[in-house]
Amino acid sequence: TLTLTSLIILTLPIITTLLQNNKTNCFLYITKTAVTYAFAISLIPTLLFIQSNQEAYISNWHWMTIHTLKLSMSFKLDFFSLTFMPIALFITWSIMEFSLWYMHSDPHINRFFKYLLLFLITMLILVSANNLLQLFMGWEGVGIMSFLLISWWHGRTDANTAALQAMLYNRIGDMGFIMMMAWFTIHLNSWEFQQIFLTNPKNTTLPLLGLLLASAGKSAQFGLHPWLPSAMEGPTPVSALLHSSTMVMAGVFTLIRFYPLMENNLTIQTSTLCLGAITTLFTAICALTQNDIKKIIALSTSSQLGLMMVTIGINQPHLAFIHMCTHAFFKAMLFLSSGSIIHNLNNEQDIRKMGGLYKTMPITSTAIIIGSLALTGMPFLTGFYSKDPIIETANMSYINTWALLITLIAMSMTASYSTRIIFFALLGQPRYPSLTQINENNPYLINPIKRLILGSIFMGFLISMNTIPHTTPQMTMPPHLKFMALAVTLLGFTVATELNNMTHNLMFKQPSRMHTFSTMLGYYPTITHRILPYLSLTMSQNLATTIMDSIWLEKMIPKNLTTMQKTAASLVSNQKGLMKPYFLSFLLSITLGLLIAL
Amino acid sequence: MNPLALSLILTTLLAGTLITMMSSHWLTAWMGLEMNMLTMIPILMKTTNPRSTEAATKYFMTQAMASMMLMMALTINLMYSGQWSITKMTNPVASNMALMALMTKLGSAPFHFWVPEVTQGVELTPGMILLTWQKLAPLSLLYQMATYTNTNLIYLSGLLSILIGGWGGLNQTQLRKILAYSSISHMGWMLIILPFNPTLTLLNLTIYIMLTLSIFMILTNTFTTSMSSLTLMWNKTPAMTIMLMTTLLSLGGLPPLSGFMPKWLMIHELTKNNSIIMPLTMAIMALLNMYFYMRLIYYSSLTILPSTNNMKMTWRFTNTKHTMTLPTLITLSNMLLPLTPMISMLE
Repeated sequence: TLTLTSLIILTLPIITTLLQNNKTNCFLYITKTAVTYAFAISLIPTLLFIQSNQEAYISNWHWMTIHTLKLSMSFKLDFFSLTFMPIALFITWSIMEFSLWYMHSDPHINRFFKYLLLFLITMLILVSANNLLQLFMGWEGVGIMSFLLISWWHGRTDANTAALQAMLYNRIGDMGFIMMMAWFTIHLNSWEFQQIFLTNPKNTTLPLLGLLLASAGKSAQFGLHPWLPSAMEGPTPVSALLHSSTMVMAGVFTLIRFYPLMENNLTIQTSTLCLGAITTLFTAICALTQNDIKKIIALSTSSQLGLMMVTIGINQPHLAFIHMCTHAFFKAMLFLSSGSIIHNLNNEQDIRKMGGLYKTMPITSTAIIIGSLALTGMPFLTGFYSKDPIIETANMSYINTWALLITLIAMSMTASYSTRIIFFALLGQPRYPSLTQINENNPYLINPIKRLILGSIFMGFLISMNTIPHTTPQMTMPPHLKFMALAVTLLGFTVATELNNMTHNLMFKQPSRMHTFSTMLGYYPTITHRILPYLSLTMSQNLATTIMDSIWLEKMIPKNLTTMQKTAASLVSNQKGLMKPYFLSFLLSITLGLLIAL
Repeated sequence: MNPLALSLILTTLLAGTLITMMSSHWLTAWMGLEMNMLTMIPILMKTTNPRSTEAATKYFMTQAMASMMLMMALTINLMYSGQWSITKMTNPVASNMALMALMTKLGSAPFHFWVPEVTQGVELTPGMILLTWQKLAPLSLLYQMATYTNTNLIYLSGLLSILIGGWGGLNQTQLRKILAYSSISHMGWMLIILPFNPTLTLLNLTIYIMLTLSIFMILTNTFTTSMSSLTLMWNKTPAMTIMLMTTLLSLGGLPPLSGFMPKWLMIHELTKNNSIIMPLTMAIMALLNMYFYMRLIYYSSLTILPSTNNMKMTWRFTNTKHTMTLPTLITLSNMLLPLTPMISMLE
């Protein structure tokens, strides 16, 4: 029964793609209802799993055997994939309903839905893969769909460059992934997870480094992060689906999948920890002074991803997974509500030009406030069930104190920029043009947001109650450590509120250096996007022209020989005709000659 | 010059060299060298301008110093071995000091500084005698005593001579200096083969003397001493211009001319003795010599520099110079290569 139900889940969306473009009007609704039914059906295996704690592996079609490597299509339905699939389907359902309202006036809306559906299918392949080849197929699939969806409005240069950026950074991560696959083929002769975890090899630093690189590329960790803020060029549903809940989770998900190997390798754990900590802090700093609402939320996604990496780094993959699931809900909701704001203000994305939406868009502002509270880990909302255990475990474990401090600072900054959004978008007097068309009454807009609000409030509780903890959580700790997360968040709130209130009374002056650093995303994109192409291009130009033509053919032998001979000739024949130096040289030569000869 | 004085001087010159070449006692050899040097001075000073005087003075000082050193070497040899024979100088100090003295007399590096200056300071004919006849006596002494000298010194000096002869000649426009540097370079070649096969030294000497005599006589006949006057030679004696070209090529060591013979045999001998790098370096450095000979050939025979139409038709005066031995010499210096198997005659 399990096998049948899970296969049906997967085939339903696929069937709909086969009927493309035949009936132009109904395609959208067919897609949306297909995803809805898929969600409902996927709940069945999940509930079965919660009841019985039985994992299942389905292996059906044998593709090919290369020497001793057997490749088949196999699905792994364990805790991670069974929990994540309904969540992904639920969120996709909500987003598809939302995009019926958002992309209503777009002539190519059918193609948009097709792309979203393809993305969903590849994401599910990635999540349920039991061997690395299938995972890689899903991995590449989500990469390509992200490229196509970011450049949806391809007439715009920025959109095209952003899509290219996303593709390139993902590709750099893919190099790590392929290295990992190659290592496993050479050393373990298999790409199946069961075999990898069973043999438990000892020297796994190299493949895990590759995996870390791949996750850094896919999940926008520091060093490969600029594509995520730039990816906001795509439509809001795309940002909501790809870049908040699902695709960027792929990297963290793969890292979580490999937790048996990572438990044994302290080097990788430390590097994951440090990378995550740096990412968290850096993106939180950058998010503090951004003015585009979508960029703030994107950088907040990046910061939360860093937090997940930190969690993996302290050897708590299950906590990271829970945080991933809960984060999907409220981040998607934040994006959807920002989409609603943007559309209602006639495509205005700058928060300096919004304001006073508290009264005019009640549902959206409720959603934003609840989402922000959940994001910052307000007790008993969703984020609390994942974030608080993370911070507690981090406090109690023997990890890098520096990484921990940075994570705490980043948490307070999370509160700060969330306050900033609320303050500028919702509170105060309106700063947009007076002819408004604010209308929230469309059910396609309201229903997804309402569903996601419910999810944000209750899902944390539900998920954590239904999972079996794999490691015993620390129960007793000093009170100051227990309240650390909460205190830090409240600190962030209050400081941000104070500062933002002060902005009513400030005179305009030049932004300080630190402010510019934060607004320009830390100058990282500016520097790397210019230096690396410049270096490669000049090196290739030098190789092509200077080295071959000018140096080797011209200067190396002919010109050098000429100058050498001319110097030598003028040195030798430069006699002045004075006899005494000649005799002196004779004396020296004779002395030397006698010394040699003796 | 007064014919009586001239005949006396030339006879003494001849006698000096012959005495050195025929002696087996060091003292008589040294005596011959001294006679040589002393009679060379008035020959160098045939013209009485200060330049010649200066050249003669320099020549005298250098050669006197060399003779003094040679005497010291002989005395040391006498002290240690008690005999005056040339071929048995077993004491290293004595034999190396004598070697260096003879090298100074020949004009090898690092004792080469006097050669270009003296050669430039005198007329063509004394220069010719300086560069050809004066080499006979010291080389005959070297031929006899070379077995007991340090071969490292010989190689060092020889290589250095070739280098200096090549590089020094690149920067010259005066023909006498060019021939002086060419003499230095050829001395280097002769020195290097001395420990291996002294017969080849003598062969090289012979062919070198033939070639240098030919060139000097061509130059004397056409009154050219610098490269600029070389460019006008085509008009006066076109046949001699072409002969100059072939003789210069032969001096540079180009096959199939006879100047190739000594170089070829030397490289053969050196490679038979398992030294590869040295003949390689020597051959490459000889190219430097070839370069400035080519420059001379280019300016004399291969191009005609722009001139007015008047200069293209000169009045041919009758030649007052002696050309008696010139054809023989030129033929010998260009066409001797097929006679290579005959070097066994020199053994």
